Amino acid sequence: MKFKGAKAIHYDSGPNMTPLVDIVMVILIFLMLTGSFGASAHFLQSSMPITASGKGQIDPKNIPKVPDPQLEIFVSSLSDDTFRARIGSGEYFTDADKLADALTLKRKQHEATGSSAEKMQIKICPRLLTRYNHVILVYQAAMKAEWPKIGFQAARD
Amino acid sequence: MKRHMMPEIKEGGVNVTPLIDVVMCLIIFFMLVAKIGISSGIDDKIDAPTTYLGKSAIDLGNSLALNLYGKPGTDEPQILVDLKGERQKELRLQENKGGKLVHPLQEVLRDMKKERGEKFNVIINAEKGMHYAQIQLVLQECASAGVTNLNFVTKQQKVQVQG
Repeated sequence: MKFKGAKAIHYDSGPNMTPLVDIVMVILIFLMLTGSFGASAHFLQSSMPITASGKGQIDPKNIPKVPDPQLEIFVSSLSDDTFRARIGSGEYFTDADKLADALTLKRKQHEATGSSAEKMQIKICPRLLTRYNHVILVYQAAMKAEWPKIGFQAARD
Repeated sequence: MKRHMMPEIKEGGVNVTPLIDVVMCLIIFFMLVAKIGISSGIDDKIDAPTTYLGKSAIDLGNSLALNLYGKPGTDEPQILVDLKGERQKELRLQENKGGKLVHPLQEVLRDMKKERGEKFNVIINAEKGMHYAQIQLVLQECASAGVTNLNFVTKQQKVQVQG
């Protein structure tokens, strides 16, 4: 009887890939576990400093001859969840979306006079006990209304 | 003369070439995208306000994250920052050093602003329930140090699309 199996040598084509696959898989799992993806944080950006008075921290060399007009938004917290905001001496708002709509209308009225929104400074004036959450909601409303210059007023109460 | 034949080549097992191709692509992707060992200094445990507007990406390389915690009984918040390899170092708004009043936070901000120029920005990460009385002290220090680029950390609110 002729045994053929012993002579039929088994040849693998190319190098043994098993250790490579092992290492590569370990690296892949390590990267997937340790890496942080996407942005966990979200940011509202501001380029306007807090103002203690009208001009705030503007560089003395860049002070415009005619200061920008200001639109003040007074904010106070009524409870943990509710706030009240007033644009200048106008009506009160307790809803951030309605405040944003009113601010959008103000911007359109301002632009209808031929003036640019860049020339108006929105000044958020919270009270000492106004909650940060509500300040941010008003800030967001001003951003939504596409006012480009939004700053803060130091609270004196 | 005995003729030597080439041995018959047989593939052993499963062909792993496509697997390696895919895995290599994944590794390159993760190496490029994953932020390993990079800390923005932002404390995720802080319950920040929720907004639907805002940016997800800012220049973290030129920023300093200020984590603000409310302190009961005082308007001065506790400010913790990751500074020069030191994690969550406390910076006071002002303190008495040898009979002289110094402003540690303002000094750090001023130095960093001088070092990094106009691109330098400050990230403010504060609890949503904090009072403006506490926040404004930090804003004032930023303004005094000449830092005008501020970023307020918020949690992104998912906007529900109706219909």
